[in-house]
Amino acid sequence: MDNRIAIEGVHAAYGSVRVIEDVTLNVESGETVVLLGTNGNGKSTLMKCIMGIVRPSAGSIFAEIDGVRHDLVGRTTEEIVDLGIALVPEGRRLFPKLSVEENLLLGAYRRSARKQIGKNLGFCFSMFPRLAERRRQLAGSMSGGEQQMLALARALMLAPRILLVDEPSVGLAPILVQRTIESIQELKERYQLTVLMAEQNFSQAIRIADRGYVIVHGKIAFEGRSADELNNNDLIRKFYLGM
Amino acid sequence: MNFPVELFINSMIAGLLLGGFYAAVTSGISISFGILDIVNIAHPAFIILGSYIAYILNTRFGFDPVLVSIVMLPVFYWLGAAVYQVYYLSFEQRGQEALRGLAFFFGLLFVTEVGLILVFGVDYRYVQAPYIGPSIRLAGFDLPLRMLVPFLLSLLLFAVLQLILTRSFIGRAIMAVSQDPLALRLMAADPIRIKRAAFGLSIATAALAGALLIVIQPVEPSVGREYIGRVFAICVLGGLGSLPGTLIAAMLLGVVESLTSTFYGPSWAPAVAFGLLLLTLAFRPSGILGR
Amino acid sequence: MRSPVFFVVALVVGAVVFAASRYVENEYFFFAGYVVLQFIVLATAWNILGGYCGYVNFGSAAFFALGAYATVTIHKLYPMPIPVLMLVGGVVSGIVGFATGYLTLRLRGAFFAIATLALAVVLQTLIINWDFVGGARGAYVIRPNSFPLLGSYIQYLFGMMLLLTVISVAGARAIERSRLGYGFATIRDDELAAEASGVPTLRLKLIATTISGALMGMAGAPFPYYIGYVEPGTAFGLAYAVNSIAMPMIGGTTSWIGPVIGAILLGTVQQVATVTISSAVNLLIVGILLVDFVIIAPNGIVGLVRDRRIGSTTVEPTVFVLLYVLNLLPTIFLAKQGQAAQSIGLVFWAILFFVTYARGRMIGRVWLMVFPWIGAGLSLVPVTSETPVVSTVVLWSQGVAWLAIDPPTAVLIVSLVIQVIGMIYGAALERRTPAMTTP
Ligand SMILES: Nc1ncnc2c1ncn2[C@@H]1O[C@H](COP(=O)(O)OP(=O)(O)OP(=O)(O)O)[C@@H](O)[C@H]1O
Ligand SMILES: [Mg+2]
Repeated sequence: MDNRIAIEGVHAAYGSVRVIEDVTLNVESGETVVLLGTNGNGKSTLMKCIMGIVRPSAGSIFAEIDGVRHDLVGRTTEEIVDLGIALVPEGRRLFPKLSVEENLLLGAYRRSARKQIGKNLGFCFSMFPRLAERRRQLAGSMSGGEQQMLALARALMLAPRILLVDEPSVGLAPILVQRTIESIQELKERYQLTVLMAEQNFSQAIRIADRGYVIVHGKIAFEGRSADELNNNDLIRKFYLGM
Repeated sequence: MNFPVELFINSMIAGLLLGGFYAAVTSGISISFGILDIVNIAHPAFIILGSYIAYILNTRFGFDPVLVSIVMLPVFYWLGAAVYQVYYLSFEQRGQEALRGLAFFFGLLFVTEVGLILVFGVDYRYVQAPYIGPSIRLAGFDLPLRMLVPFLLSLLLFAVLQLILTRSFIGRAIMAVSQDPLALRLMAADPIRIKRAAFGLSIATAALAGALLIVIQPVEPSVGREYIGRVFAICVLGGLGSLPGTLIAAMLLGVVESLTSTFYGPSWAPAVAFGLLLLTLAFRPSGILGR
Repeated sequence: MRSPVFFVVALVVGAVVFAASRYVENEYFFFAGYVVLQFIVLATAWNILGGYCGYVNFGSAAFFALGAYATVTIHKLYPMPIPVLMLVGGVVSGIVGFATGYLTLRLRGAFFAIATLALAVVLQTLIINWDFVGGARGAYVIRPNSFPLLGSYIQYLFGMMLLLTVISVAGARAIERSRLGYGFATIRDDELAAEASGVPTLRLKLIATTISGALMGMAGAPFPYYIGYVEPGTAFGLAYAVNSIAMPMIGGTTSWIGPVIGAILLGTVQQVATVTISSAVNLLIVGILLVDFVIIAPNGIVGLVRDRRIGSTTVEPTVFVLLYVLNLLPTIFLAKQGQAAQSIGLVFWAILFFVTYARGRMIGRVWLMVFPWIGAGLSLVPVTSETPVVSTVVLWSQGVAWLAIDPPTAVLIVSLVIQVIGMIYGAALERRTPAMTTP
């Protein structure tokens, strides 16, 4: 069944500072869409708008989960997550003083995720054997790469339909960035997820993206309807490839 | 001079039994202060309230004090949840918990104590139960049931709490809530609800601890204040948020206090806990098993 | 006004008060006035740390008692004049304040508060076990009957306390307006940010604990001469701990005038009330006012006057119920204590009226406030006020009305039922079971 997000004409601000202006964006069922933009352009803020952490001052955000349409604006974060939308937040936000396993089990707090807890945990451990080895270690004492794996795995434990990932590559070595991006792709295929990913690392993100948007100063500056279109865009050449 | 071995061992046993009971008294604080980071100095007042409820129903109807406390668990849970709601709305939400929130709990502590004095006076009250009085002899040493029963019930309480906190979904959420409330919301859990439940749980333990208290010793309203220092000392010494640490620290304090009052006289015992607390704060604030 | 000028003005005011008091014939005035002044000093001292820096001290009684026991010690060794005793008491308590701060202020704020709770018990235990100052039995300190020039000795003590009051209030005001005061305020607002921007937070906090502790010790130093007989129970009395927190909280913590207002109001009420009502009811009143004020008026009386606005959470169902039940308690206890006590009860009826009005307005049923009116009225009529049946009926009918009109606060009924049943049981038990007096 279909899972999609439709954002239309969204504005958002922190106090008097306008951060998002008239953003219209959609993610179709089964797609991987990448949201590109350098520091401070409003990627995380847009993610927060979808998750109900920041309330948009105007515009609409709808999500279709298993064919049912929901208005996300005005709902609490808990309700939105409960619908089946998971966010891997910026900075990972693990529970540092809980063990790896406890972090994962917390991911399955959602009532509908509890039923599949055994299956999902098994899958997480087979996908990231490292986490299985370290299941008793405190999350706060793991390396950056391991923490990113854990953050992804924890989001999966939610058994989401739509997965939002905010800058998975931050603070990782190039080889790890590559691996993380690949695992997102693998998870997506395995669980038939719909993915929206915010990234700065263009060349890695484009490897798994079906399409993408470029956000500059809170506005959508360019929409690439395919990976090729993104590759050949002037703006991207200017910002990311230094050409 | 001859070292009084028998006296020493008896005192050790008494200390361990007492320590077990201290653990029950501290378990609530271990949740509210240790895990949730809410400095509920009114906790002992709830314990004394538990004692008096056990006392009333025991003298009036002859109900067993422990049984009464188990029936009272939901009531105390509800009471705790309501207190947290007030605390959250009036202080936590506005970032005023450090000054006004603390004063609020202090006021509650005070009002409860004085209210009990007004209704019941300052006389010591006690309960009657079959296990108050007799002792069993084990390997030549006396184990008074009055101490042994609370000790065993405390261990049971600890086991149950530890199970709830580590094995249930809500328990794990309680452990996580003070670390990162926003991340918890991203797991579809409402941090306020979790905290309310946890605070309710912590006050619920006071019902049982109160009944055990009045089984162990006669109670008057200001007894609670002696326990403020003890519970915080144990909680800090054990390591904030660690139930096993709390249990160890409670036993330790029980033994040290018991030895102190055996060898130096009971009037020194109250200072032991506080002295230990000051020393812990000064030299090892993370406690024995702090994470 | 610049601080030195203010100090002179305060001194003049003090002198005028003192001169005027010379015409008071009644010795009781000085005994009562001394206590009020002592509370002004304690509240001001508490506020230097609590109000300015945001660190709660629950151990005011300990610092106060240290000053008192320093005096007892000196009195036994070699009696000295009051000003010297005050200085010694100040030094002793200042050092203890510094030490407590040094041990705990590097940790989170809560630890300091807990440590001060602990401090009071440790010190009390030490004193109880120290026979030289009388141990648990206490010690007699014979007060001379008269003082040269002034006549009675109590007038002299009153004068000394007045001087200390002037010094501490002027000092607090000076601190508030100095760089030190701004430093304190940055700690209160956001300690991490202050630290990051180079404010020497630990040093400032230590200064605050030391000054605050020293002033409390100075307030305690003349106490043995005032009371004539000191025992640990009185010197470490709960009244000091609760009053020194409640007074600034009720007056307002952000400026020097708050503690002064709070101490004068609460201190005077308590001095007047001890004549008519028991000390336990007295403490109950202070405790409940403390809870009321932190919720209803976060910035105390000063804040109420300045903002003309009350805490917005008063109207939330749970908050409302708590306030309602809490404020009903003293009206019930006061009803038992005769006509004079009931005038104090009116304060609580007023608060009940006020919170009911706030809640009633929120749910569009302002007329609900007739209940506190009826209650207050009944409490003033001699016949009804002394019959528990009438007040019980009033409580119940209120509960039923609330249930019908405002379901969220129906919890009230449960509370009231528990409360009434508890009271009846308490009274019944009091008669039936012989109480055990010693453990
Ligand atoms: N809580 C906040 N309060 C005020 N301003 C904020 C807040 N969070 C973000 N901003 C501002 O909003 C703008 C967009 O921030 P946002 O975090 O959305 O950017 P981003 O695209 O995710 O950047 P990065 O790649 O660095 O994470 C920035 O200018 C930032 O300073
Ligand atoms: Mg970002």
